[in-house]
Amino acid sequence: MELESSSQPRLAAGCRWAGEGENRTIVFPEGALRLEQTARVVLELCDGKRTFDEIVRELERAYDKSDPATIRRDAARFLERLWQKKVVEF
Amino acid sequence: MQDLPLALIAEITHRCPLHCVYCSNPLAMASAHAELSTEEWQGVFEQAAKLGVLHLHLTGGEPLAREDAAQLVSFAHACGLYTNLITSGIGLSERRWHDLVASGLDHIQLSFQDSRETSANWIAGTRAHALKLSIAAMIRQSKVAFTVNMVVHRQNIERLDEMIALAESLQPQRLEIAHVQYYGWAWKNKQALLPTREQVAESLDKISAAQKRLMGIIRIDSVVPDYYARFPKACMGGWGRRELLVDPSGKALPCHAATVIPRLEFENVRQRSLEWIWLHSDSFQRFRGEDWMPMPCRDCDRRKLDFGGCRCQAFMITGDAAATDPVCSLAPAHGLIEQELLHANRGRTADHSSQKSEHAPLWVYRAQPG
Ligand code: SF4
Ligand code: SF4
Repeated sequence: MELESSSQPRLAAGCRWAGEGENRTIVFPEGALRLEQTARVVLELCDGKRTFDEIVRELERAYDKSDPATIRRDAARFLERLWQKKVVEF
Repeated sequence: MQDLPLALIAEITHRCPLHCVYCSNPLAMASAHAELSTEEWQGVFEQAAKLGVLHLHLTGGEPLAREDAAQLVSFAHACGLYTNLITSGIGLSERRWHDLVASGLDHIQLSFQDSRETSANWIAGTRAHALKLSIAAMIRQSKVAFTVNMVVHRQNIERLDEMIALAESLQPQRLEIAHVQYYGWAWKNKQALLPTREQVAESLDKISAAQKRLMGIIRIDSVVPDYYARFPKACMGGWGRRELLVDPSGKALPCHAATVIPRLEFENVRQRSLEWIWLHSDSFQRFRGEDWMPMPCRDCDRRKLDFGGCRCQAFMITGDAAATDPVCSLAPAHGLIEQELLHANRGRTADHSSQKSEHAPLWVYRAQPG
């Protein structure tokens, strides 16, 4: 499945945040992921309401020194990878 | 500095209405009156959460054989633990399920013995299959994440496609296809359970085809039978490294099967804190790190990946718990595994319909704790 501009990614059933701040970890049935800063920001924006387009726009604002096309591509790749692992649904 | 544990496996009871021939519970099980009380378990969960444990796996036996299962989940959830219930489903009424969901259960793993009712019941030594199907439907209506666990072995592996189809119809998020590992009762029944090389190869093809087909719909994880692997599994993610297990009577173990190892004393959470046990007990230190390792592990590049394999398996097969896991193709004792495989691959695959009528039973069923 392709991530589309209008997709509304969210954490999949059985996946949730644990811990606080820097140590925030995403916990799912078979393990846990401690994400580096950017990845964490992306995933925190996945609330099931924001569309992928809106997520990218917020990322562009937060990382205004980076190339927008790169931001979009990297975010899409990251979310598709997590979709394959059933950590994210859209 | 010593890492702290990330997961706690709580075997809250050894009681179980099923009698699976592959059950990994020890042959000497903890009896009902030796079990930790509700408050004692709660104390353990609280300590675990403080130590930084993320996952709590509630298992058994059948964890639902304890009346306080939902109460335990609710307490663990309040401590911030991710709660996973590993169950056969027996004992899960609509009411109890409702309580568990309300208690904040994160995930449930429901196990199946086969795709066909008669063989499933034959493997479990009781009639449970039909009930499990209706329970799966009930689970699916909640928001709790759902994994179907299919246990495969010599007697059912040829129906793997059928089992995958059954799992698909139950619509879980995950499917775990677990080849039996030879501990506890499965060790006793190894000859009847160990698949042939051909069966394993075929099953791996079927699994990867299903993984492709169901990508993004059902995540399929599979545990391969390590007798056929070139290198051992990283048992428990390394001894005393990530996980700890507490048995029904409060004994803290570095691994499910650790009680088979002689001259290893285990501390009890009734006497010692979880932290002390993790950091200082002899049993958790014994095979931690690399100092205990024999050759060829000592010089092997894979030692940080598999930690020399499973200590219990090393003991059960070679008689020495500090030996390289014999399933490793580099292990001095690997010949013992080769012999077993030779035996398993001789002749035809066992067919249980003909076996059933024979006088000598094919296997022994798991008993009940005293
Ligand atoms: S494997 Fe079977 S007998 Fe053993 S605890 Fe699980 S359901 Fe019970
Ligand atoms: S020799 Fe030891 S460390 Fe190397 S692969 Fe075998 S078990 Fe693992």
